[in-house]
Amino acid sequence: MAENEDESLIGYDPLAWLHETSEQEQDTSSAATESFATNGDEEQYPEAEVVTADPDDVCEDEPAFVDQTVSAGSERAQQIVLDSVQTIQNVAELHEHLLHALNHGNKIDIDASAVTMIDTATLQLLLVLKQTAINLQKQVTIDFPSERFMEAAELLGLAEMLEVDQAAAGFF
Amino acid sequence: MRPRIVAVLNQKGGVGKTTTSANLTHALARMGKKVIVIDLDPQCHLAVALGMVDSQQAGIDQVLFGHSTLAQQLLPVRENLHLVAAGPRLQEIEQLSKGASHRGDLLRKALKANDSDQDFIFIDCPPSSGILVANALLATDELLVPMTSDFLALQGLSHLMGTLKKFETALNKKYRLQLVMSRYNPARRLSRDVLDTIKKYFPGQILATPIRETAALAECPSFGKTIFEYRSGWRSAQDFEALAADFLAGRVM
Repeated sequence: MAENEDESLIGYDPLAWLHETSEQEQDTSSAATESFATNGDEEQYPEAEVVTADPDDVCEDEPAFVDQTVSAGSERAQQIVLDSVQTIQNVAELHEHLLHALNHGNKIDIDASAVTMIDTATLQLLLVLKQTAINLQKQVTIDFPSERFMEAAELLGLAEMLEVDQAAAGFF
Repeated sequence: MRPRIVAVLNQKGGVGKTTTSANLTHALARMGKKVIVIDLDPQCHLAVALGMVDSQQAGIDQVLFGHSTLAQQLLPVRENLHLVAAGPRLQEIEQLSKGASHRGDLLRKALKANDSDQDFIFIDCPPSSGILVANALLATDELLVPMTSDFLALQGLSHLMGTLKKFETALNKKYRLQLVMSRYNPARRLSRDVLDTIKKYFPGQILATPIRETAALAECPSFGKTIFEYRSGWRSAQDFEALAADFLAGRVM
């Protein structure tokens, strides 16, 4: 946490991330990360329930996901774009990307706008990621969730825990 | 010439969005500028602050639903100043599920179709980050962020900046952002420290005149009056007059 060192009455400076441009040191707690690595293992997932969209909406030829780093001012923000189809078939790959992002930044933005099919395995992985991030005092945000994402998250009662907002769904 | 569209925005409540919207727009109108102010908050506080107490008064809700044009909903509330009320159905916009991918674009389209001869259109946003605020963010390139001088407001500003950066990335545009120090207490050290902190991160983006906290500003909405009608010539009226001049001249701290 960024703290002011002078005589200011402001202890923690919540805007510090706007100025910090240097990369965060990778001092991630390996124990906590390992916990995510274990919890996120695909073998632990129960049989996946799949919420699908119309077949016409599914673009299986698209790449799994784009993983890039956005230097949003201070903290090194990792940005991950979910593919249209997110199921147990590619959850291990997603897990790998999320783990990498968690180890390399304090903030992960997950763009869920393109999701047309998602299963319980992926949603559980995202939930474990959120919980692990909280323990590490890191931030995970799911941005612009598609209607299909929202539908699945609500069906499984995970929308609130994943902090996805119906009102902001389906913009893009 | 197209009017300047300015969203008065902060997802935190109680920072002075409606107070700024009502008094700054009235100040600009008194300077001869033609101004429309849109109440985009389903709580309808702006309309009440400007003396319109009919909660069933239709307004921007009808425009967003496509039942009316902006021009049809203009209510003359002061000389040079028109209000577009929130309307009783505005809350329903947040809950729309059909055509979700277009819900965020309703206000932008309505304003684009508006050809009235105005200098400014102000949008008084609700204290949230839902679909109504998204409509405002898609409709404008210019944001005015009222900000109180306390720590939690600083935390809220950090959250707001995160949201704005996401919209900037998604929409591929850069907002012109200006801040207004609202409910400022110059005698309090924390106020000064918060202001110093904001100056550090937003150099050249804080309008020069802080709006000092006064009882009169808190009282005037209940009478449906702006500060210029409630306590003309008083300190708060002078603050808003100076703020309007800052806004027009681009004068910053």
